Amino acid sequence: MSEQAKEFGAWLGRQLRRKGMSQAELANRLDVTRAAVSAWITGRAEPRMEKVRQIEEILGVASGSSMSGDEAPDSRGAVEWYHRPAHADGGRELGNAAAFAFDSDLAVLAREATQNSLDERFDESRPVRVRYILHELTGERLHRFLGAIRWNDLLPHFEAAADPGQKVGRVLANGLRELRESGRLVLLRVDDYNASGLTGPEYDDGKFAAVVRRQLDSHKSGTAGGSYGLGKATLWAASQFGLVLMHSTLSEPFEGRRERRVIGRLDLPWREVDDRQYAGPAWLGEPDPDRDGAPRSWWADERTVEELHLTRESGDPGTSFLIVGVHDAAGEATDLESMHEVLVRSLAHNFWACMVSGRAGGPMLEASVEARRDGRVVVAEERVDPHRYEPARSRAVRAFLDGETVEEMTTAESVVKTTVPLTVPPLKDAGSGGPVEHEAVLLITPADQGDEPANRLVCMRGNRMVIMERPVGDVPLGSPPFQAVLLAGRATGSKSPDAEAAERFLRTAEPPEHTDWKPTEDLTATYARGAATRLREFRRAMLERVRAMVRPPEVKVDETPPVLRDLLRLDAPSKPASRPGFPTVKSAIGAVGADGAWRVRVEVRLPEREDPWTVRPVLRFATRSGPRPQAEWAQITAESNCEVTDDHRLVFAAGARTAAFSCVSDVGSHPVAADMAMAEIDLVQTKGEIR
Amino acid sequence: MKRLIPYPVLVGDVTLEVREARLDDLALPFAMISAEQRVVALHQAERDRWETARLSVRLRTPEHELRHGPWSEVSCLAVLFERKTNVRTFTRLREETPGVWAGDVVLHRDRHVGRVQLTGQVVAAVDGVAGRMIGSTDGAWTIDLQARAPVKSDSIRTVWADFRDERNPRLRPFASDPWTVEAVGEEPVLYLNRGFEGLGAILEDPRAADRAAREAIAAQIAQDVWTALFNAAVYAVESEDGSPQWPGGWRESVLRRLLPDVFPDRSPDDALAEVLARRTGGEGGGDLQTRVLHAAAKQARLPRNLGGFIRALHRTGQEDA
Repeated sequence: MSEQAKEFGAWLGRQLRRKGMSQAELANRLDVTRAAVSAWITGRAEPRMEKVRQIEEILGVASGSSMSGDEAPDSRGAVEWYHRPAHADGGRELGNAAAFAFDSDLAVLAREATQNSLDERFDESRPVRVRYILHELTGERLHRFLGAIRWNDLLPHFEAAADPGQKVGRVLANGLRELRESGRLVLLRVDDYNASGLTGPEYDDGKFAAVVRRQLDSHKSGTAGGSYGLGKATLWAASQFGLVLMHSTLSEPFEGRRERRVIGRLDLPWREVDDRQYAGPAWLGEPDPDRDGAPRSWWADERTVEELHLTRESGDPGTSFLIVGVHDAAGEATDLESMHEVLVRSLAHNFWACMVSGRAGGPMLEASVEARRDGRVVVAEERVDPHRYEPARSRAVRAFLDGETVEEMTTAESVVKTTVPLTVPPLKDAGSGGPVEHEAVLLITPADQGDEPANRLVCMRGNRMVIMERPVGDVPLGSPPFQAVLLAGRATGSKSPDAEAAERFLRTAEPPEHTDWKPTEDLTATYARGAATRLREFRRAMLERVRAMVRPPEVKVDETPPVLRDLLRLDAPSKPASRPGFPTVKSAIGAVGADGAWRVRVEVRLPEREDPWTVRPVLRFATRSGPRPQAEWAQITAESNCEVTDDHRLVFAAGARTAAFSCVSDVGSHPVAADMAMAEIDLVQTKGEIR
Repeated sequence: MKRLIPYPVLVGDVTLEVREARLDDLALPFAMISAEQRVVALHQAERDRWETARLSVRLRTPEHELRHGPWSEVSCLAVLFERKTNVRTFTRLREETPGVWAGDVVLHRDRHVGRVQLTGQVVAAVDGVAGRMIGSTDGAWTIDLQARAPVKSDSIRTVWADFRDERNPRLRPFASDPWTVEAVGEEPVLYLNRGFEGLGAILEDPRAADRAAREAIAAQIAQDVWTALFNAAVYAVESEDGSPQWPGGWRESVLRRLLPDVFPDRSPDDALAEVLARRTGGEGGGDLQTRVLHAAAKQARLPRNLGGFIRALHRTGQEDA
């Protein structure tokens, strides 16, 4: 069977579907047997040149189309929504259970979607690039987009499913109302580049079917997440309408093609429209006559992809998911700017370690977020910089990648490296011998004086996504604030059997959200007895190791009994008395005039006292050390609540709480020119005023 | 007191950080540097014979303000200053990236004795006058030549000792006392008498039963400590050109803590002047001692702690009856 025959077969099958023409009909018009047509389509045989020309004529395509892979005239007529009929047994699904398993806010979406992209990295020598684009549509643009996705065909289904009595229905009803009232719709494009793309056949095992057709099937390989495949549900849960369109550039051709594989999927609850009952999902695609009209993905032309807002920026393989009517279920982000921020923060928080690069190689991941409104940029594309959001931890991972870790912490940038043992128990079924010893890498570095909470340990394995962040308690007194990072399994950079074993062990210990290492059911079912204990030991050992590493070399022995400690403090009181019992300068505003004299206006705050306060305002010239020379006043003028005596004292009005005066210094008494020095204004009480 | 400056200065924060310390080119453990307390502890028992300490510092300036303000020829300096020796050393820093200045500050051991203050200053030309200070760090770092741990040891040191022991000849005259205070030298010390029966037990016992008694005794001790330290500190206050000078060190700390309660209607500077006037005026000082007892009792939280003890006694008495 030649490659060429296979490609021709795939092309011919596709054109027949588009035309809605059966194999028998074509056979009839070509005057060949149906078996012959079938043999062409399956690639077992190839027609002669003259038959090919006839076929092109019948299909109405240009001569040579079969060789170049061109499609029959516009396929748009052939693309439609197909809604799965209700179960014959009358069962009703009122929501997608997988979607309920997650807190489906935008932060979780960014974590789950990016994790998928990371696990699908295609060329391991380059980073996988993820790009989040928020796009708000209004007016004509919105109208055109809704037309392109055949919104009007969906509307009856939305309205039927918008049952305010059900969780999914309420979200849907809200979304419809918002769209109607505000006339705006927010799309979120999640693109990845240098990823596998949705490869594989329409219905059988493969990445395409895992994402588009199935629940709870994660068709991922290697270091990937768990065996649940729940993560993709967050894409649908992030849409108020349960509506996601997909456009994939494949890393391995399917039907001889790679570019612009497109399909849409809608997840609705059970519903009844025009006296017909529908189960849940619906797909936008080409009806497959072999499957009672159930739709397949189609190879779209560039114009269609553009109308669907699905144009990809390069031919690099990967997938674009378009979430229609995106919303933050956590309710925190309601406008483009705050959604942008939530996405950036989530990407930085969960994937900073994947985005750190060493001298020897680039990062595993590059991520960016952008927001647009009707085609105009609202928040420019931000490439998420791990060193900006997680400076200390990113420094630790970079030092590890560059082999620049040290054994003793001596500077604010030092990264200390040590190891934590993990005993991986043998698998239950295999006679795979005894346990394996793995050494996880532990990195510790002083915390930056930033906002991040200090004294924490972040754990990760192969794909360097943050699995958990643990506070480290009981830190020895006098330890500098620190950040610690634990790299286990393949994240240690080792490909040895112990690293692979640890990788698998820890992955099995993760719940579906990959946010912890704990004795999951999967773990106890897969590993020999004692797995839970080994995990507990590992968890304890990492904290103990951190504590041991940050212990200061010498701790001062304090003999003071605790009961006395607070009573004998010598440092300045943490806050000065809020209401001093003496007159104070509330504000002083002054400038040096052309004549070289200070002109100052002073406001005074006075404590409550029946007798009038008497003070002398003093102007001192600041010095670096030693006594500060005083200057005399040329003139003092009372403004409010005070009187000036002949010897330049101020007598404040009895019972007054504030007062103001202004004064001019005597240039002749200045020790230096006024505009060459700093000065201080103070109030000095005259002798004999103590009460 | 309010400061008047006859030219425009920075409003934004200037901050300074010590990133690394080396004694004769050997790095100190980072744990000897505390950014939170702003202290560097240089003393290490096993490395006593060092000559220079090299501190890597980083200073941050409000970059935007500096760029758009009326200043030119901006430079940043790190300043080492010790009161006791009156030594001041400037180190010019270089701008690494906009708003971030770095450099190595070298501290020579033979120029210093105890605690050296490290601050940062921003200097620029303003209105054609070069070298004017337009900003400085808010607080100072303390480089402590004696400390073994980077904590502000701003607490009175306590030592347990058996006053009868022949090895403590200074304390033997006070063998019958439960405690005594040594308020001389660089560091005042509170000595607690291990030989005084029951004192150790009641002060260090963590049980709640004796809590009221423990707190009352602690308050009593603290009042004695503060009174003794205050009186010692008053004798260290001197006048220069007619104005009283703060004595520095623990003496200044004691005065600053107590004076607001000794003379509540005086500013600290005025209160210091008043204390000096009373000491030199030869008025006997009876009124001053009354004020000092009051301030020391407040520091020691005597009213609350003694009150608690008396109430506890009263309750016990009722139960017995």
